[in-house]
Amino acid sequence: MHDLIRDLRDQNVLLIHPRDRSADELLQQVNRIGCGFDHMWPVPRDLPDKFDMVLVDVTDQSATKLKGFLEKREKPVTIIAIIGYENPSVLNVILEIGAHAVLMKPVRAAGVLSSMLMARRYQSEQERFSKDMAKLREKLDNVQKVNDAKFILMRHRGIAEREAYDIIRKQAMTKRTTTTEIAQSIINAESILSNLGDS
Amino acid sequence: MTRNGSWKIGLLFSTSGVTSIIEQSQLNGALLAIDEINAMGGIKGSPLEPVSYDPGSIVPRYGELAERLIIEDKVNVIFGCYMSSSRKEVLPVVERRNALFFYPTLYEGFEYSPNVIYGGACPNQNSVPLANYLMSAFGKRIFFVGSDYIYPYESNRVMRNVLRQGGGEVVGERYFDLETCSDGFDDVIKDIMDVRPDAIFSTIVGQSCIEFYRSYHAAGGDGRICPIASLTTNEGEINAIGARASVGHITAAPYFRSISSVANRRFLKAYEQKFGSTIDVTSCCEAAYSQVHLFATALEETGEMDTDCLREALLGASFDAPQGQIKIDPDNNHTYLQSRIATVNEDGEFVIDLKVRRAIKPDPYLVFPAIHDWSFHTQKVSAGGGRGGGRHA
Repeated sequence: MHDLIRDLRDQNVLLIHPRDRSADELLQQVNRIGCGFDHMWPVPRDLPDKFDMVLVDVTDQSATKLKGFLEKREKPVTIIAIIGYENPSVLNVILEIGAHAVLMKPVRAAGVLSSMLMARRYQSEQERFSKDMAKLREKLDNVQKVNDAKFILMRHRGIAEREAYDIIRKQAMTKRTTTTEIAQSIINAESILSNLGDS
Repeated sequence: MTRNGSWKIGLLFSTSGVTSIIEQSQLNGALLAIDEINAMGGIKGSPLEPVSYDPGSIVPRYGELAERLIIEDKVNVIFGCYMSSSRKEVLPVVERRNALFFYPTLYEGFEYSPNVIYGGACPNQNSVPLANYLMSAFGKRIFFVGSDYIYPYESNRVMRNVLRQGGGEVVGERYFDLETCSDGFDDVIKDIMDVRPDAIFSTIVGQSCIEFYRSYHAAGGDGRICPIASLTTNEGEINAIGARASVGHITAAPYFRSISSVANRRFLKAYEQKFGSTIDVTSCCEAAYSQVHLFATALEETGEMDTDCLREALLGASFDAPQGQIKIDPDNNHTYLQSRIATVNEDGEFVIDLKVRRAIKPDPYLVFPAIHDWSFHTQKVSAGGGRGGGRHA
């Protein structure tokens, strides 16, 4: 069984929607599913930290305002947009606010569970991907730095790539730091020296 | 109300085909309740008039006949269905037409429709007590067999989880076509004999259920040593299997024919008067009977067949059913039910071993029932069905 299904009841859900029949249907279904829930309307100033998922009615709302509200918080939140129309301006709002799933009005109980699940999955994958991406980017930067430093050493000392790398690694070990740090120092030193030569 | 002054209600139970044993008993339960209500003068002076069709255990027929009941017969309230697949056919029809549908059968949960009143047990109401009982009375190695459709998969998923929490182990899992005949079970029974589990958990339904129990017996399987435990094998199937092949086997259900209570004795007496014997009275039959009574009480209150009015009157309504007090949960349209565990004796009758103390709240969206939930604490039931002393977890 997938963790997302197993942990669904741990989700704290906030519904931001005028208190009408759609809102009642939704709250009741969230209650049946077994999640903690709360209701707010109009859109509050801040999104309390305890909520993991927000179901928000985007009808007649400005994307900028919603986005500001949803992005103000550190902790990532799963967003399900509730829409009454499917025209391009509404569709634009759901894209702008980065909704992870959509529920169409009038809301039917069947389908809410799947939407919550798909939204959770999409949101958690997105989060994982952006973390992975940041890590990869950093790693790539580091590799690039070490390469640059190697070439500087090879040029200055007339040595082979392998030797250049060994020098960097030994320095890192003696100074108890990373090869990236050493590479950065070499690049900095090189740029200072070459600037001296210019003046 | 129709012109000739009666309240028409639709009945959609198969009296032919693979699930006819159980659905016939549901039909009888509904018809008995209708008789009782009409004998008391009907609702607001007019009788209930059943319009009944036989879908022949053919899944798409349920949807077609539901449509026909609503369009041609102008019926707005339907009782029917056993298998989940047939309910899924009726569901879009009653939602589109805003009709009210009563489903008197246990099922796998994870559904809610404002147009359905669910009268049978969800997994949380019977799986946990059964798993506890099997592990404490027989052992922790359980073999799963089931029919090849949604209810057995989901029911086994829940059972597997509950067993694991209690340190149990699933030592085999096999699924069979609904049409499977006795020789189709040869392989799995050989497997069971080799693996020697402590108990078998079966969600095989319909005619093939009877074949399975018989094949197990023929191969030397003894329910008193290694029982087949089930949520679906009722009095009707046990009667067809025969006492010799079914002795020792176990079923968990809200209702058994052998319950000793005034309400049940009254129910059985009336059933016998109408149908000649109580041989096919089952928990699904009792659920159909109780749902018709719940509906009648609601109709008495509303005085009209409007779905929204009836639903309002039904949610939270309770009924002194043959199983004990039941109540429709306003949170989810399912029903608070009793939970009992019974073993088949030498005469082919269920003897109730354990029951929970009070009706269990339905939780149709529960992914993982917890084995130690206090609401599942059971009490021993003495031979006469009265209260005993011991308390079991």
